Amino acid sequence: MTHLTIKTTTQDHQIAKLTALAIGLHVLEAVFPSPLPGVKPGIANIVTLYVLAEYGFATAAWVSLLRVFASSLLLGHFLSPTFVLSLSGSLFSLTTLFFTQHLPKKYFSVITFSVLAAFAHIAGQLLVVRLWLIPHAGVAYLIPVFALAALIFGIINGLVSAKLLND
Amino acid sequence: MRFFLILGLALLLASCSQKEPIYNQQSYVFGTLVDITIYGEAEEKSQAVSNEIIHIFQKLHNRLHAWQPSEITELNKAFAQGKHITIQPDVATILADATKLSGQSKGTFNPAIGGLINAWGFQKDEFKPTKVDENNIKNLVAANPQMTDIVIENDQVFSTNPSVQLDLGGYAKGYALDIALAYLRKQGIKNALVNIGGNIIALGQHGDKPWRVGIQHPRQPSAIATLDLPSGWAIGTSGDYQRFFELDGKRYCHIIDPTTGYPVQNIQSVTVLIPAQNNAGTLSDVASKPIFIAKPNSRTDAAKIMGIENFLIIESENQIQISTAMAKRITWLDTNAAKQAVIMQP
Amino acid sequence: MNAIKLPFKPLIGDWLVIIASLIVVLFLFKTLWVREPASQLKIRLADKVIGTYDLNQTRELHIHGPKGEAIISIENGKARFKYSPCTNQYCVHQGWLSRAGQVAICLPNQISLQLLGAKSPYDSLNY
Repeated sequence: MTHLTIKTTTQDHQIAKLTALAIGLHVLEAVFPSPLPGVKPGIANIVTLYVLAEYGFATAAWVSLLRVFASSLLLGHFLSPTFVLSLSGSLFSLTTLFFTQHLPKKYFSVITFSVLAAFAHIAGQLLVVRLWLIPHAGVAYLIPVFALAALIFGIINGLVSAKLLND
Repeated sequence: MRFFLILGLALLLASCSQKEPIYNQQSYVFGTLVDITIYGEAEEKSQAVSNEIIHIFQKLHNRLHAWQPSEITELNKAFAQGKHITIQPDVATILADATKLSGQSKGTFNPAIGGLINAWGFQKDEFKPTKVDENNIKNLVAANPQMTDIVIENDQVFSTNPSVQLDLGGYAKGYALDIALAYLRKQGIKNALVNIGGNIIALGQHGDKPWRVGIQHPRQPSAIATLDLPSGWAIGTSGDYQRFFELDGKRYCHIIDPTTGYPVQNIQSVTVLIPAQNNAGTLSDVASKPIFIAKPNSRTDAAKIMGIENFLIIESENQIQISTAMAKRITWLDTNAAKQAVIMQP
Repeated sequence: MNAIKLPFKPLIGDWLVIIASLIVVLFLFKTLWVREPASQLKIRLADKVIGTYDLNQTRELHIHGPKGEAIISIENGKARFKYSPCTNQYCVHQGWLSRAGQVAICLPNQISLQLLGAKSPYDSLNY
């Protein structure tokens, strides 16, 4: 009889804790009503940004996607439109982070990543709504509002992440 | 700090509204939706003028009502009893005008058939499918109520035929349009559009372009065509989709053929355009009826005797006739209609 | 500039991104936020346009989506979701729409309301 032993490192533990934190933040945020559907501070992304800086892109992607799946299961809308929106937003922002992760640290801090990822996130969501959920829906009126939210929350999350990383 | 200043400025810019000086008010009068649009006036004035027009309409509506107690129902009571009754000068003018138009239409426009309209259940705000007594209808038709049975002597009026029961349903809305136009002009309003239950009269323009009206598709919740309505012009439509009920799969609309006593069948709508003149509004209401009621091949003749050059006749989805003059003015929104429309040479 | 103490001072590249984004946001507002009054309502159910309705009337429309029946109100130049079978009621909370370009969307029920503007084909409807 062979025993399989999976050895976990402290790094794995750390990542698991961070993922749990991300899920927790996401679920917590879902409890609070937002004035406009789709406009959320996205505080769970602070974890994603922190992981990106400390452990690299691959890990950040893991944490982010795990968060999306686990949260939707916990909140009870797995495979629902909400889940699809969350997933598409995450995929778009992760792709953006992939291509911008090597921007010189001398000039670009995590704030940049946060803002860019936030814009990518809402772009992904609006695209899904417009192309698949309700084709040709007149989302034009919503775009400026979402963009403004992305800018504001992108900056705030970025500042928080920067502070955490600096400590 | 600077960031928030810029943000504030951005929001301020975004809230800059490019509003045009147009005022719109809607109310329910004449048992239907009344829509008044005024362009290029201060809001206070537009509001005051619109309110007064609604007030005028409400008074007219109460005075001319076909079945709720009014001056008209009093006349009808007197007519039925062969009695004399006092009549107001403006109502006398209305009756005289209606009589003239009835004659012009060779009797198809007949406001004296209130009895028939009531028999079909249409003299109610909410009506139900009605199975009529055939004999009752025959008798009502045979009684032959005509506007010419009414005799006006100074301020007294009586009828030589007790079956005359006035129902100004096909006249009052158009008449009200004329009253509204006169009032707007008196108040110095240069540009306005008044819509009473679908009947529209125009004054001036919509800024630098003419007022544009849509024509309702008889079977769909959208416009089948649009056209520009020049100042003083009026447009009216008689349709089988406005007031009707269905019984055993057949549609019974509120427009009754006085010679048969039965609602007109096999036609969906007739739209007429009236050039600027004193009673353009009245004609826009009245003149569509004779065309609607006429036999299928006599519709253009009916248009001619009413002096209508601009008309659109929709008998069905694929049977559309439009006069040459009207065809020049219209822009089709429905591609099928555009294809099917037959242009009638005068 | 230093009235607010930031927990972290953004780098030059950050400022570049922030200002560029701000310009994008301003541009989006300027072009997409047209403040003209609306004249028509376009209702979509999933990928089909159910109809385009004149806003100058008062009526209620019952639309059946996958989640159930929604009631749309049209009244005097405005429209709204009066009732919706969805859980979050975001669509209903959007309230009355009255300007061209405004939208209210019920994602669970796949219904969208869109107000169309003065590119409206007419000023008033004859019927």
